[in-house]
Amino acid sequence: MKTASRIYTAIIFIFLFAPIAILLVFSFNEAKSLSVFSGFSLKWYQELFRDSETLGAVKNTLILATSAALISTVMGTAASVGINKLRSRWYRAALDQVTNIPMINPEIITGISLMLMFVFVGRIFGATTSLSFWTMLIAHITFCLPYVILQVLPKLQQMDPSLPEAAMDLGCTPIRAFFKVELPEIMPGVVTGMIMAFTMSLDDFVISYFTSGNGFQTLPISIYNMTKKTVTPKMYALATLIFFVILALLLLSNLSDNDDARAARAIRRSQRAARKAERMVRKSREPVENPVRKIVLPIIGFVAIAAIAVNAFVGRDTLELNVYNWGEYISDGSEGSFDTIDEFEDWYKETYGQKIKVNYTTFASNEDMYNKISSGAVSYDVIIPSDYMIQRMINEDMLLPIDYSNIPNYQYIDESFRGLYYDPDNLYTVPYAYGIIGIIYDANVVDEADTGSWDLLWNEKYANQILQFNNARDAFGTAMYKLNADVNTTDHAVWDAAFEELRTQLPLVKSRVMDEIYNMMESGEASVAAYYAGDYFTMKDAQADNVDLRFYYPEPTNYYIDAMCIPTCCENKELAEIFINYMLSEEPAVANAEYTCYASPNRLVYESETYIEDMGEEAMAVLYPEMEDFSELYNKYAYRNMSTEMLHYLNTLWENLKVN
Amino acid sequence: MRRRRTEREIREFRARHGLLAPYTLWSALFILVPLIFVAYYAFTDNNFNFTTDNITRFFTATSQVANADGSMSEVRTYIVIFLRSLKLAIISTLICLLLGYPAAYIMARAPEKAQKTMMTLIMIPMWMNFLIRTYAWMTILQDTGILNGILGYLGLGQVHIIGTEAAVVIGMVYDYFPYMILPIYSIMAKMDIKLIEAARDLGCSGVSVLRRVIWPLSLPGVISGVTMVLIPSISTFYISQKLGNGKFFLIGDAIEGQYVANNLHFAAAIAFILMIILLVGMAIMKYFVNKKTYGGAR
Repeated sequence: MKTASRIYTAIIFIFLFAPIAILLVFSFNEAKSLSVFSGFSLKWYQELFRDSETLGAVKNTLILATSAALISTVMGTAASVGINKLRSRWYRAALDQVTNIPMINPEIITGISLMLMFVFVGRIFGATTSLSFWTMLIAHITFCLPYVILQVLPKLQQMDPSLPEAAMDLGCTPIRAFFKVELPEIMPGVVTGMIMAFTMSLDDFVISYFTSGNGFQTLPISIYNMTKKTVTPKMYALATLIFFVILALLLLSNLSDNDDARAARAIRRSQRAARKAERMVRKSREPVENPVRKIVLPIIGFVAIAAIAVNAFVGRDTLELNVYNWGEYISDGSEGSFDTIDEFEDWYKETYGQKIKVNYTTFASNEDMYNKISSGAVSYDVIIPSDYMIQRMINEDMLLPIDYSNIPNYQYIDESFRGLYYDPDNLYTVPYAYGIIGIIYDANVVDEADTGSWDLLWNEKYANQILQFNNARDAFGTAMYKLNADVNTTDHAVWDAAFEELRTQLPLVKSRVMDEIYNMMESGEASVAAYYAGDYFTMKDAQADNVDLRFYYPEPTNYYIDAMCIPTCCENKELAEIFINYMLSEEPAVANAEYTCYASPNRLVYESETYIEDMGEEAMAVLYPEMEDFSELYNKYAYRNMSTEMLHYLNTLWENLKVN
Repeated sequence: MRRRRTEREIREFRARHGLLAPYTLWSALFILVPLIFVAYYAFTDNNFNFTTDNITRFFTATSQVANADGSMSEVRTYIVIFLRSLKLAIISTLICLLLGYPAAYIMARAPEKAQKTMMTLIMIPMWMNFLIRTYAWMTILQDTGILNGILGYLGLGQVHIIGTEAAVVIGMVYDYFPYMILPIYSIMAKMDIKLIEAARDLGCSGVSVLRRVIWPLSLPGVISGVTMVLIPSISTFYISQKLGNGKFFLIGDAIEGQYVANNLHFAAAIAFILMIILLVGMAIMKYFVNKKTYGGAR
């Protein structure tokens, strides 16, 4: 029996720790990959400690999780005791149901519903930014509470009710009875509840995403926003470190638990107990205290401390600039590169003599960004969306015209990137990067003769080797380009035809992917995929020995531009323009182009000798293919904004496809 | 004697309502009021005029689905998605229970020091971001992944897991396993060992001790555990996207997709219906379990 249970426990722990072992091993990987191990290296640990954004996110996550766990534990334990003693069945049943709600509600709805409410209340009070650390804290406390109650309440029910009664018969006040008799009895539940609350808060992404404002980004949000690029191994290094810290704490607490220490503590405890008993008898004769104070005061006290802690990070006289960009879309100082945000802060201080703090936050898709900004609950000064979204935002008066005289570096933007469909009069945008969708294939699997067009994605020879986009617009795009149809058509019949194409492709598709593409292509799990040109190089750098990735552009294909814009919620337009201008100057622009691996519309970049040398011949040829007239091709084939009716139609088709 | 009782009752009354007040207020403000917003969105159109279209759409929207033999049949989109989510969630919950129950029992019977260690070990994986953990499972389960590497090395052939229901279930079981084991463990740790010994002394076999003593006593923990695993697995979307190769479209995906398509009203409607179904389901489960527990005690 003993052996059997040992083996069983061992199996459970192997199951629980297998993925952790993987993270541990791959955190020492030389390549930026979680599927191909290319050599031992400590560089991701160095990167991690150099990366102030990630460390900031870790700090934010810990502050939030600690505050949420403490407050919800105190409130939840108090509530459990109250619920347990309730005589009114009706009140009790109602509370039971209400407690269940945050757990039964899908996270995404808890998030959206809280966001809707915060925004609504914020509007009533005329606040420009109603989402902040505080809304996030409220949300976290709300979803942590049920976990605490679910842990504590069963303990209370299991406890012999005559225990506190006996204590009270002996002259204890209910509060004394609670702290001296009940609390020690239910302590395991309280501790488990608190740990669960802490854990839930630490790990939560969805609810945080909706309730977070500018400048306070937690770790899960930054990780999720890396989904266009790949998750960096820095995060595995971080996970490994967390693992060892906890392990060390565990060992320490076990070491200090030897027999002598325990005996000594037991003696001290009994002495303390005796003293307490004395005091209790004395105190029990004093008048009754209001229990509300006992519970509420610590909460308020804690919130106050947390508030001070949070505010301490931002000095009062410092300027602030809120930048909202794609995840992994700016040179961040990793691998010895240029740290754009830090450098900008230093440069600004040198030039203008005033301190500035850039709150840099990220989003995972244009739609996420749009939903956040259109909620009216956040305030950003600079955003970097894609073309079709810019068109939509201009249509909906969500962007401010830019004063180009404040952006002298705009002169370096090539003529072909001006006056494009989304901003025909050059009023609102400064292009940041552009790209073309191409097809990546593994030359060890795919016959060269089959390449060249979109048909490769429909080639039955490569059934179960093909990857398709996991978002409606891009997936339908591949079918529309294959059919040589207008990707922006409002003709339902054309969309239906594309739908049929995608349906015939279904049996061939191995997986619908976004960032998973990196893993799958690098390891040879799949051999054919359409993706952005720049990302092909990231994959090629990390490919396994038996994989030989190649790339080509099918015709026609998608062209896209991401541009810097100033949203109407901007609070310091001039500062935003200074930032945009800085982003166009040579050093940051080259660094960003090298980091993202996407093509730059900036002459200072693509004519820079160091850039051309760093990128290498092949990359330059792929990223900057010879084109007769970029603007003409672009205006013809780029995605444009679609009407709400069309978007809903597209989404319905997409769902129909995915039900299969 | 009489007077003291009354005084104590008053104090107790005050105490429990004092204790409950912050929570009652909090849940009204941050749980109930937001729900009103969900309901409001579910029953309005884009211009905030009253409509039941969103609700009707959930039950009536249809899709063409290819059968195994290539023919087409028409199905109700959201009903199919919901049932699929429910099925995967139930399988995951049952596996969690089957794996977690004995583990919780072993934990609760271990020496105190070992209990603490094991509990920490169970929590540790959760302190590493779940997005990253799910990524690690991709590395293990891929066709060219670690598991197949090991199997190939041992000459045991290959398995195809990624992109199947099994992979999604593994991901769910892995992510939510601690939520099953911890409540059961915390109930079992409190269980009076003398009851078990007494049952043994009175000639109960191991199986009937489990069935008649341990199981009924641990039921509250089991209910907590089942709730905590079942609910998040129904509405998850990340796991199915990563480990199901994006091929298992679940109800969580549907809500997220509607949100991204800026169709908040329909997203709210799906959520509203899902919530009602789950609330009613949980209430029914609780009713039957309560009945059974009290019935068993007699």
